[in-house]
Amino acid sequence: MAYSDKVIEHYNNPRNVGSFAKDEPNVGTGVVGAPECGDVMKLQLKIGDDGVIEDARFKTFGCGSAIASSSYVTELVKGKHIDEAITIKNTVIVKELNLPPVKIHCSVLAEDAIKAAIADWRKRKADHAASSEEQLPKSKEA
Amino acid sequence: MIECPSCGRRQQPLLICPDCGSPLAAPLDCFAALGMPRKLTIDLGALERRYHELSRKLHPDRFASSAARVRDASLRATATLTRSYRTLRDPVARGLYWLELIGEKLSENNKRVPPELAELVFEVQEQLAGMHDAPADSDAARELAAQVAQRRGQLQATMDASLADLELNFVKWDQRSDEKMLTLRLKAILSSIAYLRTLIRDVDRALENSKAA
Repeated sequence: MAYSDKVIEHYNNPRNVGSFAKDEPNVGTGVVGAPECGDVMKLQLKIGDDGVIEDARFKTFGCGSAIASSSYVTELVKGKHIDEAITIKNTVIVKELNLPPVKIHCSVLAEDAIKAAIADWRKRKADHAASSEEQLPKSKEA
Repeated sequence: MIECPSCGRRQQPLLICPDCGSPLAAPLDCFAALGMPRKLTIDLGALERRYHELSRKLHPDRFASSAARVRDASLRATATLTRSYRTLRDPVARGLYWLELIGEKLSENNKRVPPELAELVFEVQEQLAGMHDAPADSDAARELAAQVAQRRGQLQATMDASLADLELNFVKWDQRSDEKMLTLRLKAILSSIAYLRTLIRDVDRALENSKAA
C-alpha cells in the first residue's frame, strides 16, 4: 500500500517527538492502543492554567500512518484551548493526511489520545487541588 | 437447510453432500464447515483428521471432469475448509473469530492499553532505539543487543502466560459461567497478545538487524 506524501513527510520528519517529565503538574499524558494491530501511542500535552495547550510531545510505536497521525496532532493542538482540542475529530486527520480506509483507525487512535491526555490533565489538576487542601492532615500521616 | 444441487437432498449446511458426495458451496461458519462442536476448547487431533479427510473428498482434482457448477463448488468449498481450519487451529485466531461470532469487535471500546503493558512497550522500544543509535560493532552496541536478547526471553514468557490465560478462558466459556465477564476477559487477553506480538516482532527485527550489521 502506498502512503500519501504527507504521511511520508511526517514519518520522515516527525514533529515534537519525545516526552515531558511525567510528574510535571501541568502535563497530561494519554496512552492509547489499537489492539487489532498492536500499535501504541503516547501523547503528552503541556497545558496552562487558562486551559490553553502550550506544547505537545508524542511517542508512537506503530505503522507510518499512526506516527504521521500523532505527529500531525501535536501541531494541530498547539495554541488551542482544551475545550476546542477535545472536539477535534479524526476526519480532520484523515483529510489532512489522505489516509486510506484501512488506516482510518490510526486517526481514531490520535483523536482518542487527545481526549485521554486532556482527561489525565483534568484529573491531575483535580487531584492536585484536593491534595493541597488536605495538605495538613496528609503531612501528619506521613 | 440447503438442497444439494446434484442429488436434490435437503440437509443441514455442510461442505459435502452426505448422499452423493458432491461438494457444496454453502456459506458456513468455521465450526460447521469442519463438523466440530461450537466450542472454544478444541480437540486438535480430531480437527486435523477432519480437515485432511474433507480436503481429500473436496479436492478440485476429483471434480476435474464434472460440470462447471460442481467444479466451482469444490473450489469454494475447499477455500472455506482451509480458512476454517486455519482459524480454528490457532487459539488466537479462534478467540478473535469467537468475538466476531458473538458480535463483539476487539477494537470496540478497547483503546486503553493496560498501564503495565504500556510501560513495558515504551521501555523495550527505548532499548531498541538505543540499540539502533549505538555505533555499529561497538561494545555498547553488543551490550545493548545482549540486553535486548535477554528481554526477548522475558517477553516470550509473558506471551506464554497470556496464551495459557487464553486457554483457561476457553474452558470457562465452554462451561458457560458468566458470558459478559468472559467476553471482557477474552478481549483483554487477546489485546495483550496483540501488543506483545507487535513488540516481539519489533524486538526480533532489531536483533536481526544488529546481527546483520
